[in-house]
Amino acid sequence: MSRNTLEKVLYDLSASGANKKKFADDPEAFLRRYQLDDRERALVREYRVRELADLGVNTMLTWGFWLQAGRSNRDYMKIMKREEA
Amino acid sequence: MARIVGGFVAPHNPVMYFNPKGATEEQSKLCYDAYAQTARRIAELEADAAIVIGCDHYILFGTECLPPYVISTGEIDGPVDQLPGLKRRPLKSHAALGSHIAKVGTETGFDWTVGRALSVDHSVAVPHHLMVEPAGGDLPIVAVMLACGVEPYLPMKRAWDLGEHIAAAVASFPSDERIVVIGSGGISHHVGDERMGEVNPDFDRKVLDIVTRGDKAAMLALTDEEILRDGGNGAMEIRTYACAMAATRAAGGRLIAYEPVPGWVTGMGFAELEVAA
Repeated sequence: MSRNTLEKVLYDLSASGANKKKFADDPEAFLRRYQLDDRERALVREYRVRELADLGVNTMLTWGFWLQAGRSNRDYMKIMKREEA
Repeated sequence: MARIVGGFVAPHNPVMYFNPKGATEEQSKLCYDAYAQTARRIAELEADAAIVIGCDHYILFGTECLPPYVISTGEIDGPVDQLPGLKRRPLKSHAALGSHIAKVGTETGFDWTVGRALSVDHSVAVPHHLMVEPAGGDLPIVAVMLACGVEPYLPMKRAWDLGEHIAAAVASFPSDERIVVIGSGGISHHVGDERMGEVNPDFDRKVLDIVTRGDKAAMLALTDEEILRDGGNGAMEIRTYACAMAATRAAGGRLIAYEPVPGWVTGMGFAELEVAA
């Protein structure tokens, strides 16, 4: 597990529109650039922000990652509070 | 020589911009009136420039490089994270003062990371927009960014020492300019975690009491564990208050306004800092 690389992925997605587009077009191809294992890639690909936060990923990044995909803040809070979104 | 003639602590809450209706009309008026009051005071103090002490939010710096403290020594633009009504643009910079502080730092044990063309986030752009710009006079700023949002956090003691260093460096800047410092940060707030929306007025009032009493010992006694528990990850931004307190020689001050605003996810506190003779 690398919290550092997970944070790098989320930071790169928040900082660059080009990265967002590449991720949206082909998440697997985008994520292959990073030193992540299969589970970590799935956490990012599936927007499992609660589990990312539980791994120590900074929640400023998980929140931004969720919102940049056009997902609702209400659903984010449900997931973070371990309620069903 | 230049001198620091005033100081302030104030929030830089972006939610005010993208969800203005999150606060009641009364809460909103109180906060915007407080910002306006700081702007009037900056004008009354006849300030020539402002040093705005902000902090990163994992917006400016990534995992490749996480500087503990950064200062602008050339051009400034921002905010990188544009907001409704606050678009990214050039901000007038006092490059000579920033460069002087950085140079003094290298000679006295503060190895600043410098931004020769620094982009800032809302932590500098909001106080510029609501405090510096309305003061009139087209005041230039020096932007300082402290590591408050991402580990490793700048230790509170180091933030304090940095403020004292800033004061000493300003005092050796060859001009007769009058400088104000702004510690920019929210008090209790949780960013992105399951407690987002919780505000803790007891913690907020404790911090504002420490600030307005100029109580260095109490400020430095606030541990990261206490801040994270009682104020949340966003409250780590009160390092900017410590830095501003030290830059004004911790002479105390007066509360301008305080309002817990859960709809803006933040305890909104405003204070003016006295400057020790």
